[in-house]
Formats: sequence, structure tokens, C-alpha cells
Amino acid sequence: MTNYELVSGLETHIELATKTKIFCSCSTEFGGEPNTHCCPVCIGLPGTLPKLNRRVVEYAILAGLATNCEISPVSKMDRKNYVYPDLPKAYQISQYDMPLCKNGWIELSNGRKIRITRIHIEEDAGKLVHQRGNTFVDYNRGGVPLIEIVSEPDIRSIDEAREYLEKLQTIMRFIGISDCRMQEGSMRCDVNISVRPAGSEALGTRTEIKNMNSFAHMTKAMDYELNRQIDLLESGEKIVQETRRYNEETECTEGMRGKEDANDYRYFREPDLVTIRVSAEEVAALKAELPELPGARMKRYTGELGLPEADAQQLARSRRIAEFFEAAADGVKNPKAAANCIIGQMFSRLSTEAEKEAFDVAITPEQLRELVMLLDAGKIRMNLVKSTLEKMLDTGKSAKEFISESDMAGLDEDALKAACEQAIAANPNAAADYLGGKEKALKAILGGVMKATRGRADAVKAEQLLIQLIKK
Amino acid sequence: MVTHEEILKIAKLAKLSVSADELVQLTKDMSEIIGFADTINAVSPENSDFDNINHLSNVFRDDVVAPSFDSGEILKNAPEQEDGYFLVKKRA
Ligand SMILES: [Zn+2]
Repeated sequence: MTNYELVSGLETHIELATKTKIFCSCSTEFGGEPNTHCCPVCIGLPGTLPKLNRRVVEYAILAGLATNCEISPVSKMDRKNYVYPDLPKAYQISQYDMPLCKNGWIELSNGRKIRITRIHIEEDAGKLVHQRGNTFVDYNRGGVPLIEIVSEPDIRSIDEAREYLEKLQTIMRFIGISDCRMQEGSMRCDVNISVRPAGSEALGTRTEIKNMNSFAHMTKAMDYELNRQIDLLESGEKIVQETRRYNEETECTEGMRGKEDANDYRYFREPDLVTIRVSAEEVAALKAELPELPGARMKRYTGELGLPEADAQQLARSRRIAEFFEAAADGVKNPKAAANCIIGQMFSRLSTEAEKEAFDVAITPEQLRELVMLLDAGKIRMNLVKSTLEKMLDTGKSAKEFISESDMAGLDEDALKAACEQAIAANPNAAADYLGGKEKALKAILGGVMKATRGRADAVKAEQLLIQLIKK
Repeated sequence: MVTHEEILKIAKLAKLSVSADELVQLTKDMSEIIGFADTINAVSPENSDFDNINHLSNVFRDDVVAPSFDSGEILKNAPEQEDGYFLVKKRA
């Protein structure tokens, strides 16, 4: 049997987190009673004029800059004509041949770059509820700003598709232009798929799976479609270029009849909106606003801070976590301890992925930093860090509220020596036994040291010190 | 140039039937119309202010919420409605 290779590209729609819609001042807030976030502009009444939201252009440029795109100095809006109840005007205002951003890329962990063809701005459609053969239309979502990010067919595996989409999600959240929640529809994608014999350069006939609304559905749909196409080729049949939908119940993709002829959108320039011109100065100003991106942070965490790759990935997964970590690790000797506190104890208190990314915790990064500094200075041991952090997270109070001066005093070099000397003095027989060759006798003395310091002595250091003192 | 196949496809999308004679004439007419549009397209918008007579660009609004309309008002002209939704009835 021939070995086949997947060739795939993604078209990703992301709702922008602006306060108002793209062409009118209605709220973009999710939910609400049907048709309550609407006005004559966004329900397309005759005689109304759209006016472009400046922030939509700025957010789209930020998205472009964060994905290595060129920003077009001149772009315009176009009408995409199609008749369906989710579009009150019978056209969607989008961008056709002059998108705001083009020629970008995203790098995957395997070093491959997935090229981004373009990013354009457009309006979202309304929401349709189909019931008893009738269609109920809610235009609250109609006119909410979207960016569509179109990739080249550079994706070669389902894992790569997943990683590409996760990276887009992380980046867009990082720069704060969208919450990218697939289950709420603020991020969704269409997947183009074809297969070809491995090593071949030619592209096979492709199909497009519409409207994937979760990572799980996307990977399942791609897996099904990949195998369906291979089976067709193996049995000598032809793949039909068509639009398909993923059926969540059967876990199969199925052809959407009637869509093939409708691909003629008769695009033309939107006459109600003027040209968009973006100066180099405006691009530079937006670039300056851009936070350090997750990829760059990860490199810094593994390089400068010497953290393992897996830790770096966890810390760079949201801007909130990354900034918390960086403030907590600022100037500490042991950034890994700060990372461990966050990834271990602090994450375990946050149950969902969304909660982890929002990272709403009871303490400030400065409070965590103070705790790590105590560890750095050798004033407390790791087990005390853990129990103290628990108390801090319960109460929001600082480490020093839970660690007494004597707890800390018990652990500097002099205090440790004193505790060791006392433990030897308290157990002269064990010391003699140890000198006589009974190595196990040392454990009894060490037990005394740990008891006197309430478990906060460094057992390894204490053991070395005891041997020195006994042998003296 | 416009081909017969393109005319037939457009006719199908517009749900029109076209006779053999009409096809020849329509193809000729459509080619001339497209040819005229090419004259306009030859002007690149990148290096001209041809795009609107007032030479306007960058007309924006600020991202500030204003009250929306009452849903009763929004639905006033709807041929059919139910529970605050526009209703599109199943076509027979
Ligand atoms: Zn509106």
C-alpha cells in the first residue's frame, strides 16, 4: 500500500474582544435576550450607513504583527454576496483582494513554519436556531467583528493542525484581542484537507470541513476525512471537491449538498466604506504596544532561567501566568522553586483550563517572591515552603505571618550547628556506637536534630555536620 | 473573455433558462461589459485616490457602546416573529 501524506490548511475565525460591533455602537457582549443588541445598521435596514470601529483595525494589525505578517498600507472592505437568513443584508462586509495583513507565519515546536496567507477583518453573521423545520434568527452576534486567519496548506499532520490552532489561540489571548473560546464560538475554524502519496509535490483534490468548534472535533474530523480520502484513492475512486460537515453523533464527515454551486460570491467593493490607510508610524506604535509573545518567553525561561521545556510551556500558556511568574521569580536565585509553586500547588487549586489561564489566586507575585527568597537564603526548607504556601493561598496573607522568627532562626549555619551539638550531647551512646562502626546509630542523633528544629533542618547538611562533630 | 460555460453557470445560479441563440448574444454582451469593467480595474487603488470622489480615507468611530434599540422596535418590520426572534418559516 502507498504511504499517504496529509496536506492541510486552516481558516480560523476569531471574534475580536472589542466593546462594540464592527460597524455600529451596539454591544458585543455574549448572550443576552435575542435581538436586544441590535440597531438599524446591524440588522441591515435600508438607508443606514456602516462606520468602521477603529479598534477593529488596531486589533487586526496586532494579530498580524504577532504572527509575523506584513501590514498593508492600503486596504479596503468588500461585499461578499450570499442569501441566507443569518445575513440580514444578504451580503457580508469582508475583505477580498486587499486584506489588512498578509505573508505571516507561525513556528511549530518541530521547527516547521506554517505560513499565514492573510488576515482580514469582517462582520460575524447572526445566530440561527432551527426548530420544527422553522428557523429562529437572533442578530445579537450579527456585526460582531471577526478576523479570519488563512494559512497556506503547510500542515502535514493532525498533531501539527492542533498545535497550530493552539498556538494561534495562545498568541491571540496573550495580545488580548480575543478570548478565543471554541465552545462559545469566539474561535472556530474550517479545515482544508487533501492527501497525496508521500514525497509527491502535487496537490490532491481537497475537501473543506466547515465550522469546527472544538479541538476534539477537529482532530476526530480530520482523522475521519484523511482515512476516507485514502480509502477512496486505494479503491481507485475519485475525491470530489466539496464542502463537508462533521457530524458529532456519527463522528463522520458528510457532504453538504447544494453548497458547490454557491461559491460565486460576486465580491465587489463596499461603496459605503472608505479606504483604510495604515502609516508606518501607526504600525510602529502598535508594535511597541505588543507584549513579549509566548514563544519568546519560553525561550527565555529555558535559556536564561534554565527551566525545563515543559515548565516553560506551562508558564507561557497565558499572559497572566507568565507575568505572575516573572514578578515572583524576579531576582531570586531559584526560579525553578517559583515555577514549581505555580505549576504544582497553585495550578492544583484551579480546576479548569480556563481557570488556570485566568490564574485568579489569593496571593500577589510579590508574596510568592518573598517565600522563594526565604528558601534562597536557607532560612526555610522545601517542606515548610509547601505548607506555608497552602496557608498563604487559603488566607491571602504573607509568608512571614506563618513562619516565626524562631522557625527561621533555627536554620542558619550557627543554629544548625547548635542543634547538632545538642543532639550529640543528648545521645552520647549513639555517638560512641557510630564511632565504633555502627553507621545506623547516626540516624538516632539526626532524628534528634530534626525534632529540635521541627523538621526544618536540611537533613543532608545536618548529617554531614554530625559526622564532622562526632569525629572531632 | 467570457465563455459559454460561465454564462450557463451564472444563469443557473440566477435560476434563468437560456436558449442557444440567447447564449451567443449574452456571451457577446457580457464580454463587452466585463471589458469595460477591466478599464476601471486597470487603475490600481494602491497608487491613486480614485476610490472615492471626496478623497476620504480612514473614517472611523471610537469603540464606545451606545444603547441598542428595543427588540420590539427591531422586530417591528419582521414579516413573522416569535419569542423575540425573527421567524423564517419552512418553505413548502
Ligand atoms: Zn447595531
